[in-house]
Amino acid sequence: MTATAPTADVRRRNNVHVLGAASGSPLVFAHGFGCSQEMWRHVAPAFEADHPVVLFDHVGAGNSDLSAYQRSRYDSLHGYAEDLLQILEQLDLHDVVYVGHSVSAMIGVLAANMDPSRFRALILVCPSPRYIDDDGYSGGFTLPDIESMLDALDANYLGWSAGMAPVIMGVPQRPELGAELTESFCRTEPAIARHFARVTFLSDNRRDLAAVSVPTLVLQSADDAIAPRQVGQYVHEHIPGSTLRVMPTTGHCPNLSDPELVSAEILAYLA
Amino acid sequence: MTAESAEELYEHAPCGYLSAEISGGIVRVNQTFLDWTGYTREQLLGRSFDSLLSVGSRLFFETRFLPILRLEGEIREAALSVRRADDTVLPVLVNSILVRDDAGSPVSVRTAVFDSTKRQDYERDLLLARRASEQSEARVRVLQEASGRFGSSTSEEALAEALVSTMHDAFDARAAAVLLLEGNGDLRLRAGVHPIGMSLPRSDSGPETEALRSGMPVVVTSVDEAERKYPALARAMLDAHLEALTVAPLIQGTTPLGVVVAFFGRQRTFDSGALDLQSALGRQAAQVLQWLRLQDQLRHDAFHDSLTGLANRNLLRTRLGDVVLGARQRKTSVALVFVDLDGFKPINDTLGHAAGDQVLAEISERLREVVRREDTVGRLGGDEFVVLCEDADEATALLIAERIRESIRQPFPGVADGFLVTASIGVAVHSPESSRSMTGEGLLHEADEAMYRSKTEGKDRVTVVAV
Repeated sequence: MTATAPTADVRRRNNVHVLGAASGSPLVFAHGFGCSQEMWRHVAPAFEADHPVVLFDHVGAGNSDLSAYQRSRYDSLHGYAEDLLQILEQLDLHDVVYVGHSVSAMIGVLAANMDPSRFRALILVCPSPRYIDDDGYSGGFTLPDIESMLDALDANYLGWSAGMAPVIMGVPQRPELGAELTESFCRTEPAIARHFARVTFLSDNRRDLAAVSVPTLVLQSADDAIAPRQVGQYVHEHIPGSTLRVMPTTGHCPNLSDPELVSAEILAYLA
Repeated sequence: MTAESAEELYEHAPCGYLSAEISGGIVRVNQTFLDWTGYTREQLLGRSFDSLLSVGSRLFFETRFLPILRLEGEIREAALSVRRADDTVLPVLVNSILVRDDAGSPVSVRTAVFDSTKRQDYERDLLLARRASEQSEARVRVLQEASGRFGSSTSEEALAEALVSTMHDAFDARAAAVLLLEGNGDLRLRAGVHPIGMSLPRSDSGPETEALRSGMPVVVTSVDEAERKYPALARAMLDAHLEALTVAPLIQGTTPLGVVVAFFGRQRTFDSGALDLQSALGRQAAQVLQWLRLQDQLRHDAFHDSLTGLANRNLLRTRLGDVVLGARQRKTSVALVFVDLDGFKPINDTLGHAAGDQVLAEISERLREVVRREDTVGRLGGDEFVVLCEDADEATALLIAERIRESIRQPFPGVADGFLVTASIGVAVHSPESSRSMTGEGLLHEADEAMYRSKTEGKDRVTVVAV
C-alpha cells in the first residue's frame, strides 16, 4: 500500500537522536503538531541516566528530511505510525516506553496496534482521538473551529502578516533573528504545516482505542483547551486497563510548562 | 507642553500591552488594550491571554505560539484574533517575550498587541483569492498532466497505471485502483492496489456498482457512512485501516468502461470541484482507453479474417517467413498444412452465402480444436485454410493433417444437413536434414502442390512431401 523507506535513510529522514544509557527500557519521545523534538528538551534528560532515550522529528517537522514528505503517505496518521515502527526496527528497539504528545499520542496508539510486540508501555500526553464534536462525543471543537485554525495558520505562514509586521510595529533592530531561531527549532514549511494540521485535527481514531493491548498511561492536563478533561477521560475509558493521571497543569504543553511534573509522572508509572 | 509620565506612555501607548504570570494569569494591562477590546481591567486580571482568543487562534496559540515562546524566549508578528467583550473579533499582530529570573527560569510574559483590522481584512480577501486561484490552478495542472500521461500510454495497463498515480498525486490517496469491465460484466483490477479485496466489486450494491450505474462519482466519507450504505464494505474498511474512499466511473459517451477507486486513511470530504475533477479524469481516461481499444481492433482487423477470426494472408505471410527462418537457425523442422475444401461450393449455391459462411466459421472452430496449441491457423481466402506447425516432423504433421481431415468430414447439423464436406490436404515438411534452402513462400508453394495432388487423386486425403 505504501512504499517502505530504505532503512538506512530512516535516521536521516526523521532526524533521529539516540541519547542516554546503553541499557534499560528505551524511551521514545514523539512531538505533536506545531513544533519538533525540542518539545521534549526539558523532559528527556530526566531519563538519560537509566534509559536509552530516542528523539525524532516527524517528516515535515524540525530537521526532518522534507523531501521525504509524500502527501499521500502522510494524509493519515498511519503514515506517521509506519515511520515510528520503522524507527523502532532500524534501532532494533524492544520493550519500548513510547511517550507521545498531542497528535503523537494517537500515532503511538496506531503503531502499537500494528505491532504491540515492541512496546512495554504507551504514555499518552494530552491525547485526543477526535477534536471535533460528534453525536454523544464532546471533542471540544466544531468543524468551523478547525477551519478557522487553518485560517490562522495561513495568516501566520503565508507571509503577508509577517512581511508587513515590522512596518506596523516599527522595524526592530534585528528583524531576522526571531525568524532564524524559529527556523532552527520549530521549522516548518507552510504547505506541510497546513496538511499536517488537517490530518491532525480532522482525524477520528476513537475506534482504535479499544484495540490497544499495551499498558497505557494517560497524562491529562487539568486545564487544557485543546484536549479537555472529558477527552482524556474518554481515552482512559476506551483503552482497556489504562491509567489516567490528571496533572495540575494549565495548557496543552505540560512538557514545556511543567517538565519536572511530567517526568515524575512517567517515572512513577514505570516504577 | 509637559513631559509625559511613564505611566501615561504605558497606559495610552499606540498598542496594547499585557503582562502575565508564567502560568498565564494577566497581572497588568494597559488602557489601550481595554479601549480596543471593551473589557474592564477587573475582567482581565487573573485571566489568561489565550482565553481571550477566538477558537482557531487559540488552537494556533497552544500548538505553535506557546512552544516557540517557551523554546526561543520570544515570538514575533503572530497573527491572532482576540474576541472583544461584545463578542466581535479584533484581528491583532502580537509580539511576546519571556522574562526570566536570575537563575534563567521563566517568570512572566510581556505581550504587545497591534490592531491589524484593516490589514487582516485585506489579507483575508487576498488569502481567499489566493486559495481559490491555487486550487483551480492545481486542478488545471492535474488535468493537463493527466492528459499528457494518458496520451503517452500505449497499453491499457499503462493507462491504468497513469490514472492510479494521478489519483495519488491529485487527491493524496493512500491507495488507488483501476478496475475495468470485462466482457462478462465483472470488474477486473488492472492497476494499483485494491486493499479491501476483490470480493466486493461483484456485489450489486457496492459503491463501484453504484458509480457504474449512476455515471457519477460515489463518495464514502467515513466508516460510519459505509456502515449505513454498504455494511460489508465498512467491515473491510476497518480491517484495512481505511476511513474513506471515492469511486469515479470511466465513461466514454454513455458507455461505462470501468472505475477508478481512491482510498484514504482518514475521514475525507470532497467539494464539488474535487468531484468534478474526478469525473473529468474518469472521462479523459475512458476516452484514451476507447482509442487504445480502437487501435487494437484496427491492428487485429488488419491481420485477421473478419469472418472466422483466423490469421489472414498478411499475417500468415509474415509468420511463415519468421517461422521458416527460425527453424533454419534453430535446426528444427517445420510443416505447413494446406487445406482445400471439397463439396463446399454446392452449399453456397444451394443454401446461400449465409449458410456457407456458417460452415466456414464452424470449420475454423474445428481446426482450432484439433491443432496443437502453438500452431497457427489461417484462412487464405475462399475455402482455403493453412496450418503452420513449428517443430513438427513428418509423423507429427501427418497426425495433425489426419485429425483435420477427420474433423472436416463430420456433418453440420442444422446448418447444412445432408451435405458432405471433405478436405484435400497437402503437407510440406522441411527438416534440418534437407539440402534445400527453404523460404516461407517456397513452403507454401510446396504444400499447395501436395494439396493439388490429393485433390486429383480422389479428394478427402492427405499428401505429405518432404522438402
